[in-house]
Amino acid sequence: MTRMRTMAALCGALFALLVGGPVAAQDKPSLIVGAIYVGSLNDYGYNRAMKDGLEEMKKNIPGLNLLEAENVSETAESERVMEGMIQQGAKLIFATSFGHQQFAFNLAKSHPDVTFEHAGGWMQAANFGNYFGATQAAWYPMGVAAGKMTKSNTLGFVVGVPIGYAIGNVNAFEMGARSVNSAAQTRVVVTGGWSDKAKEVAAANALIDQGADVVTMHVDSPATIIQVAESRNVHSIGFQSVEARQLAPKGWITGLGFTWGPFMTETAKSVMAGSFKPAMVRQGVGQGMMAVAPFGSTVPADVQALVTDAANKVGGGFNPFTGPVTDNTGAVRIAAGEFWGGDKMGNFDWYVDGVIGKAK
Amino acid sequence: MNSALLAGVVTGAIMSGTSLLYATLGELVGERAGIVNLGIEGIMLVGAASGFAATAVTGSPSIGVVTAMLAGAAVNQIFAYLVVTRRANQLATGLSLMFFGFGLSALIGGPFVGALITGLPRLAIPGLDPQSAAARLLSYDALVYLALPTALVTWWLVFRTRWGLHLRAVGESPAAAYAAGLQPGRLQYQALIFAGALGGIAGAHMSVALTLTWAEGMTGGRGFIAIALVIFAKWNPLWAVAGAFLFGAAEGLQLQLQAAGSDISPFVMNMTPYLLTLAVLVVWGLRGRAATAPAALGRTFTGVE
Repeated sequence: MTRMRTMAALCGALFALLVGGPVAAQDKPSLIVGAIYVGSLNDYGYNRAMKDGLEEMKKNIPGLNLLEAENVSETAESERVMEGMIQQGAKLIFATSFGHQQFAFNLAKSHPDVTFEHAGGWMQAANFGNYFGATQAAWYPMGVAAGKMTKSNTLGFVVGVPIGYAIGNVNAFEMGARSVNSAAQTRVVVTGGWSDKAKEVAAANALIDQGADVVTMHVDSPATIIQVAESRNVHSIGFQSVEARQLAPKGWITGLGFTWGPFMTETAKSVMAGSFKPAMVRQGVGQGMMAVAPFGSTVPADVQALVTDAANKVGGGFNPFTGPVTDNTGAVRIAAGEFWGGDKMGNFDWYVDGVIGKAK
Repeated sequence: MNSALLAGVVTGAIMSGTSLLYATLGELVGERAGIVNLGIEGIMLVGAASGFAATAVTGSPSIGVVTAMLAGAAVNQIFAYLVVTRRANQLATGLSLMFFGFGLSALIGGPFVGALITGLPRLAIPGLDPQSAAARLLSYDALVYLALPTALVTWWLVFRTRWGLHLRAVGESPAAAYAAGLQPGRLQYQALIFAGALGGIAGAHMSVALTLTWAEGMTGGRGFIAIALVIFAKWNPLWAVAGAFLFGAAEGLQLQLQAAGSDISPFVMNMTPYLLTLAVLVVWGLRGRAATAPAALGRTFTGVE
């Protein structure tokens, strides 16, 4: 499908050059931006949030032309798709999924005049930067919400791919829950992919079978898991996009959503002005890239206040990964007096005390 | 091994094994006629997408399943035409069919991603609270209950009817069948209609009953597992039931074990269903049972038609 799109795009570009050359020169766009999504835009999740951010950027910059490709898998195929967009004149490429990193980096080397922004990675070059929400600390207030709303003291977390950042999310979640409920435990199931719907259904059911009455996730689309939770009358906490709330009218507690618009607008403007500086940008709750979703109707006011408090604390610089922190085998991982900052968020290969599961 | 885990594995095995079983039965009938269809993954995807789309448009999951069945059968006819009439290489054509199915299903399903549908309803057992553990163990959708009867009907069709006998004759030696007055091409077409229909139902079960969603490539390689299960089943529909259930259980077990708190790395856990499939195939091969495959499987009949 993306191969057909690339062919069509290349043919279209050729045609446009031949026929529309002189005409196109008259209404040249202010900037051509390319964006690739790993999944589908209607996923109530990760890709939807990226799209919303790009649309905001497009609205803020008149004359901006946005090229998009959905369902671009995290393989060499993505390199071909991005190359096609560069052929069409894109000067800024957003590679929006973790697995697109190496392929975007390859193109950054061969196209020094094009700027690349990759979501969630760490590679750097003169024309290559990374951006992501500082998700780990942001999960702390989610844990607070779960810890207060659970009756069974068992929380369920479905993880797509157990990269360090995802494990860090689970850890912050459990720490937040423990801060208000010392008996809260989090069970983790790894599906092996960011978007395997059948496995997500089975994983969510397995967690609920084992007693979880609050289920949350780090996968591309929260929709399937939230629907399973709703059908089994348990609570759910969403992730990626705040739109998922409509799927769980009874069980929704709250969620985390990404608000990429301001950052994307800023980046596009810097590319246009020639002042782009590569950086590893991580912004958390209260800093622009992440927002706490509205609360569900069953969440009591005192819980809402606790969660909002915790979110404000995190926004004000509170770092849950401040020592001493013990992992779930009893070993001390962060010594007293130390803390793990943003640069270490990809290093998690252990779960904190209270999480039931094996990180690697 | 607590009881919740055991119950969860059984439920998971049944739910995820059902679509595998339908796909395996379909592939099995095709292979009994001598045609190996590597593109069953594509058929399943077309079934999943068209079933989901039809359900989203009409609001009726039953119409969705029927649509998926017809779509699967129709797409498999393209394969049948290429392989039987045009005598193309079965393996290459099958793989092309897989890619074709991938693209076609993305085209059909594209407008419907994110749509919310009412899926196939689970049977409401009178007197049982739908949320109770017993209900979760016993109450499933119609396609699950029909899976075992379908396997039995397939067995009866292949081994107890004249049509099945002719089918198997074509699969063993189309030249001999032709000499005996049969029409191998026509029988193969019929087998592939049947196979396509079952493949479509297999896909529909995933989108309309199990996940209630459509995503590109959502079958995740299950079509290929079905091809392996046909070998595991020794081309007998009754063994296919065991194979599908076993694979479904392996998949469910590793996820349930993770939830219960296993000490094994999640990466290894995710591999186990596929390791199990490989192990079974190796053991089967070691026992020298390869001779049970239909003798003319994969060979194109180039005789006078």
